Amino acid sequence: MTDDLKDKRTFSRGVHPPESKHLTEDRPIEPGPGVGELSILLSQHIGAPCQAAVKKGDLVEAGQRIGECQAFVCAPVHAPVPGKVKELALKPHPVLGRCQAITIEAREPAPPSLPSFDLPTDFDPARYKPDEICEAVRDAGLVGMGGAGFPTSVKIQPDAKPPKHTLLVNGCECEPYITCDYRIMLEWTDQVLAGIRLAQRACGASKVFIGIEDNKPKAIEAMSAAIARAGSTSDVRVVPLQTKYPQGGERQLINAAIGQTVPTGGIPPMIGVVVINVATAAAIAGAVLHNRPLTHRVVTVTGEAIARPGNYYVPIGTPVEALIEFCGGVTEKSAKVVMGGPMMGLAIADLSTPITKTGGAVTVLTRHQIGQAKFERRQTACIRCGRCLEVCPENLNPTRIAHAVKSNLLDVAESHFIGACIECGCCSYVCPANIELTGYIKTGKIFLARQRKKMPA
Amino acid sequence: MLKDITVSFAPHISQPLSTRRVMLDVAIGLLPAMAVAGYYFRIHALLLIGTCVAWCAATEWVCNRIRRKPNSLGDFSAVVTGIILALSLPPVLPLWAAAIGSAVSIVVGKIVFGGLGANVFNPAMVGRAFLTASFGVMMTTWTVPASIDIEMPTLSAADVVDTRTQATPLAWSKTAIKEGGEAKTYSGRLFFSTMTGEVAGCLGETSAIAILLGGAYLLWRKTIGFHIPAAVLGSAFVAAAIAYLVNADAYVQPFFHLTSGALLFGALFIATDPVTAPLTRRGMWLFGIGVGTITMVIRILGEYPEGMMFAVLLMNAVTPLIDRLCKRIPTGGKPHA
Ligand code: SF4
Ligand code: SF4
Repeated sequence: MTDDLKDKRTFSRGVHPPESKHLTEDRPIEPGPGVGELSILLSQHIGAPCQAAVKKGDLVEAGQRIGECQAFVCAPVHAPVPGKVKELALKPHPVLGRCQAITIEAREPAPPSLPSFDLPTDFDPARYKPDEICEAVRDAGLVGMGGAGFPTSVKIQPDAKPPKHTLLVNGCECEPYITCDYRIMLEWTDQVLAGIRLAQRACGASKVFIGIEDNKPKAIEAMSAAIARAGSTSDVRVVPLQTKYPQGGERQLINAAIGQTVPTGGIPPMIGVVVINVATAAAIAGAVLHNRPLTHRVVTVTGEAIARPGNYYVPIGTPVEALIEFCGGVTEKSAKVVMGGPMMGLAIADLSTPITKTGGAVTVLTRHQIGQAKFERRQTACIRCGRCLEVCPENLNPTRIAHAVKSNLLDVAESHFIGACIECGCCSYVCPANIELTGYIKTGKIFLARQRKKMPA
Repeated sequence: MLKDITVSFAPHISQPLSTRRVMLDVAIGLLPAMAVAGYYFRIHALLLIGTCVAWCAATEWVCNRIRRKPNSLGDFSAVVTGIILALSLPPVLPLWAAAIGSAVSIVVGKIVFGGLGANVFNPAMVGRAFLTASFGVMMTTWTVPASIDIEMPTLSAADVVDTRTQATPLAWSKTAIKEGGEAKTYSGRLFFSTMTGEVAGCLGETSAIAILLGGAYLLWRKTIGFHIPAAVLGSAFVAAAIAYLVNADAYVQPFFHLTSGALLFGALFIATDPVTAPLTRRGMWLFGIGVGTITMVIRILGEYPEGMMFAVLLMNAVTPLIDRLCKRIPTGGKPHA
């Protein structure tokens, strides 16, 4: 099991977009802007949205819980700064369009200070009970910070069947441009490792693998060194993985790092695997050891259209606009503002959209960059070149599915396993006919979901 | 601060590759064959290529106007069809016939199906099939390259009369074997000629070296995969080898088959037309094996010395079936329920 890992360092297919990480990879995490008004969205995770626990005019303290819910799959939200509740209103949401949010007027706007982290010298995860860890994690409102935003406490809870044998830590950060996870691995190494060991303790995994792409040798080194320093942690290992997109996709990562395949339509726990992101691991340590709720996160503000790209520690709820302004505004004619990276990120039209727990990056692309790809080139009919099939990491037939959706043949799309698409964008990325395959597939999924709602089986 | 921003589905970047670029690459891959054609068959070869390209493009433009569709000349697919059609014609074909063939290629081979991407058959082969059916004699009259004298052994008294035309190596070997089994004696020398192109044949198929050069470019650019050419050539070789092993006197050597006639050109430039070939790798293997085998069956058993065109058209017809057979199963297996 240990040595054969060396040949299984990647999944099959996928693409190699330009990495574009040079803009921010050498920029240490800095405090972001001090903003007067923060909007905390009440739906920042997969699962039931929160209910506001405060009303207009209430005074709140930093770290105070302001939204919660009783559902199992849920994570509360907290106030990042002290201040007054200005309003409860709909605010733009990167995924949902609009969503209820609590807007807080900061008592005195000041740039956030970087969090300190002291690892107790006698830190021993065995001293914490799994239930205690899960509870602390839930109270802190932790959700997966890599993108999907699944409540972490549910993921790492111990009493699951089948038993969780492997904890996989995602340090791939395969999206172009983004570097926040990379900086966290370099700068908050001990905190990440402490979080990993707490998560391991909670879910009871006997093996832990930290998957890092081989274009981040410094992160591989730093994490390995931290493991060596911590001693007696031979069950935690760094697995260098090939640099390839989407190496950080949960299913691809599992395949690459431990050679197992998650069944189509299934989730990793079905094969006894838990996957957490490195930023989430760091947050777990903060929550359990320092009682720190998830109110801030590291955001990479990047793209050729940004004057001062970098990695910033910002309160959740900061409007994108304020971040862009803080980074010197845009240099060239910018064409698109993307929450996340260019492969999977969501383009936003409203720049007052606040940063969420899952939003690790703001990428501002210039017209030139997109123009090359999306504006100037006209779309043609599919020439059946098969490139989209060649790159699909889930071994689907993207062109067939997309055409079925286009012709409104949803059953045909289903017969070609539309539901198995992870929306990685590889197919659209390579298509010479410039067809928005991923877009059609996403649309098809929404249609299908609507159809099912109307006709419950 | 930011006006004028756009919103669309991810991904927001993409590979700098377009349909036009793909087609342009095919045209670039065809350059060596065109150059050799020009060298051996002189001005008439270039006129043929020019005629076919111009007529294909013009036909497409007119059809688009009639159908009130946007002008699609920019994707260059009509140009590629024109070049491939021209290179599959005999060098002395009258230009008016080439023009008719081009128009048929585009109208019957492409437009009636709905244009680029929707056609079932390779347009150039549709045009060529039409010409073969309509002008059989013209389509089997070959001249020898201008650079050489006729040295190939005469086949019969009748052939001596006409010093300008000559049989293609395949046709010649077929007849020669029938008449007295001399093929072996000459196929060595002919093999060399088929490499350089100093033989009779269609414009683009005479020089194996030029075709391989262009094919290598396409493979390097990843415009084509190796699957279809490998399957076509491999299966053709196997079929030829079986025939040769069964009766070495009656059939020429397998290598001779690979380099002569349209096999190499077809394997690299015609069977690989993405639009009319299957999508999956497995499908590509099946398709290529079909093309190679059918070509050889026609060559070995049939009266006609050449079979590439029919093989491609036949396999084009079963491509939808192959695609259906080679359905892709997701990485995680079929979902339950
Ligand atoms: S079909 Fe889905 S999973 Fe496959 S490449 Fe396209 S977006 Fe990715
Ligand atoms: S990559 Fe684009 S052109 Fe090629 S088969 Fe897929 S959809 Fe068609």
